[in-house]
Parts: sequence; structure tokens; C-alpha cells
Amino acid sequence: MYQNPRAMPSAFQPVPALAIPQGDREGALLVAYANGDPEAAREIMAALAPRVLAQALRMLADRAEAEDVTQDAFLRLWRIAPEWRQGEAKVSTWLHRVTANLCTDRLRRRRRSVGLDEVAEPEDPAPSVAARMQGEARLRALSDALAQLPERQAQAVSLRHLEGLSNPEIAAVMEIGVEAVESLTARGKRALAALLRGRKAELGYDED
Amino acid sequence: MTRIETGADGGRELDDLLAEARALEVVPSAALWARLAADAERERPRPRTVVPAVPPAPGGWRGWLRLLGGWPAVGGFVAATLAGIWIGAAPPTGVSSVLPSLWGEDVSVALGVDEDPLSLLEG
Repeated sequence: MYQNPRAMPSAFQPVPALAIPQGDREGALLVAYANGDPEAAREIMAALAPRVLAQALRMLADRAEAEDVTQDAFLRLWRIAPEWRQGEAKVSTWLHRVTANLCTDRLRRRRRSVGLDEVAEPEDPAPSVAARMQGEARLRALSDALAQLPERQAQAVSLRHLEGLSNPEIAAVMEIGVEAVESLTARGKRALAALLRGRKAELGYDED
Repeated sequence: MTRIETGADGGRELDDLLAEARALEVVPSAALWARLAADAERERPRPRTVVPAVPPAPGGWRGWLRLLGGWPAVGGFVAATLAGIWIGAAPPTGVSSVLPSLWGEDVSVALGVDEDPLSLLEG
């Protein structure tokens, strides 16, 4: 398991991490990484990798795909590090954006290959396993429904309703205005409800 | 983070489903940490270190030899020296005819004094 990065010895640390002001800590750490500090990368990953993985898993409902997206997002972060301008954007915002884009790329490919009606159903499992699989099937159905939405709507809906970001935060992630965010999330959620309507029993909800 | 309005435009079931997805917690596996760490280390820009372009010359004649540029440079020195000695000892005709035009002829000048000062005393 991953260890506390602070516990790892480092012979080289050009930027004192404790001197970094709160609020832009990851940005300062990224600059330190670009200057060759290996400790900085570990701290950034410890702070943000679980968040990126969770965002990808909520959108994709597929652990292996979510892990690939997480790796890809961080790879892009390391490669942009030398050009990173501290103060212009937060690393967490940048990662939200890249992760959302990578996920909608994968949802687009999934939409081409698998239809919404082709979601696999669990077959005669034990009760506890059945509950877990029912939950997984629900999340997969939600992910497949997101795949049917226009990409910007899918991103706005997921950032709002899966990540719990505020509209101004989503506006920063998507680089659009707050009004556009409100419009995208409202239309996206209505479309999502329409896609999932009539699948209540399949999703484990009572149809009444 | 913010409060999520529910039931307004999507129905309670959708809100429940979104809440279920939102509550999903996940911990990166050891394998994923290893992949991430390997990428970070591979992509990490290396800090610039000052490396002397030429290793310090050792002492003695080998040091002098290296300062001069090594054996090839010494070969050039030797060839130039031998050529100079040869030209000086036995200048080729081309050199002896060109030199006067460059440096002028050798001229002896006597200022106000006869070549044989004793000749004045003689009668």
C-alpha cells in the first residue's frame, strides 16, 4: 500500500514544501516537481489521486477504465509541469477538467460499441452479492445514460451531481460562464431522467 | 462543495441514483500507486547540476600535454617547429626571393665616419 510521502526520505528538495501558501499548495508542488523534486510528485498524488480515481469511477462505473484514466490524467499533469504557471489555475481544477474530458472520450467510444439496452444483468447470485451487483448495475446504467448525453452536458451533470461542485467551480473547470453551467446541468439532468425513466425495476427501484 | 437540489427536474429515483454514485468511495490499489509513481519518476525533469566540461588535468607532463590539447596538438607543434627550422636553415628559392620585398634588402649605413677612421691620420 502507498506509504505516507512525508515518511519517505529525500536527498534532494529544492523547494521547501512547508513554505508554500495554503490554497495553491499543489500548484507550488507541481513547480517543485518541474524543478526535479521527487517528493513533490508523491505529495500531489497522495492528495489528488483518490479524487481523480473516484471521479473517473463515478462517470465510467468501470474500475479498470477509471484506473487507466487516472494514470493518463497524471501523466498529462507531469508533462505539463514545466509550463505550469502558478496562480493561473489550481491543479485540482485542471485535473477535474482533464479527467472529465478523458471520461467523456471513453463514454463516446462506449456509446458507439454498446447500446443502453445492452447492459448486462446479474444472474441468480447470492443475496449479498446480488445487492452489490445491483448497485454496480445501477451505477453502470447511470454511466451508460451519461454516455448518451452530449459531452458538455455529461460533464456538467457529473461535476454538479456526482462531484458536488458548485456552479462557479464547474464554470472554472469547463472554462465557461456560470449561466452556461446552469443551462447545461438543467438540460443534462432532464435528459438523464428521460433516459432512465422506465428502467426503475431494472435499477432496483419499485415501479409504483 | 455545495448542496444538491433534489427532485426538481429529474425525479426522486434519479436523485437517489446520483446520490449513490456520489457516495462512492474508492481507494487506489497498490498497483495503481505503483503505476502512478513510475510515471512520475520517469517524467520528472532532472535538476540541473554543474558538470565541468573538461575533467581537471592531472599534474606532471601529462597535465601539460592535456592542456596543450593532447597528442594531436603536440604533433602539430612538432611539425611546425621542424618546418621552421628547415626553412630557416635552407630557405627555398621562393622564400629567399619574396623576403626582400617584405622586409627590404640588408643595407649598411655609416653616418659621417669613413669606413676607415685611421685613414684621416695618414697623409
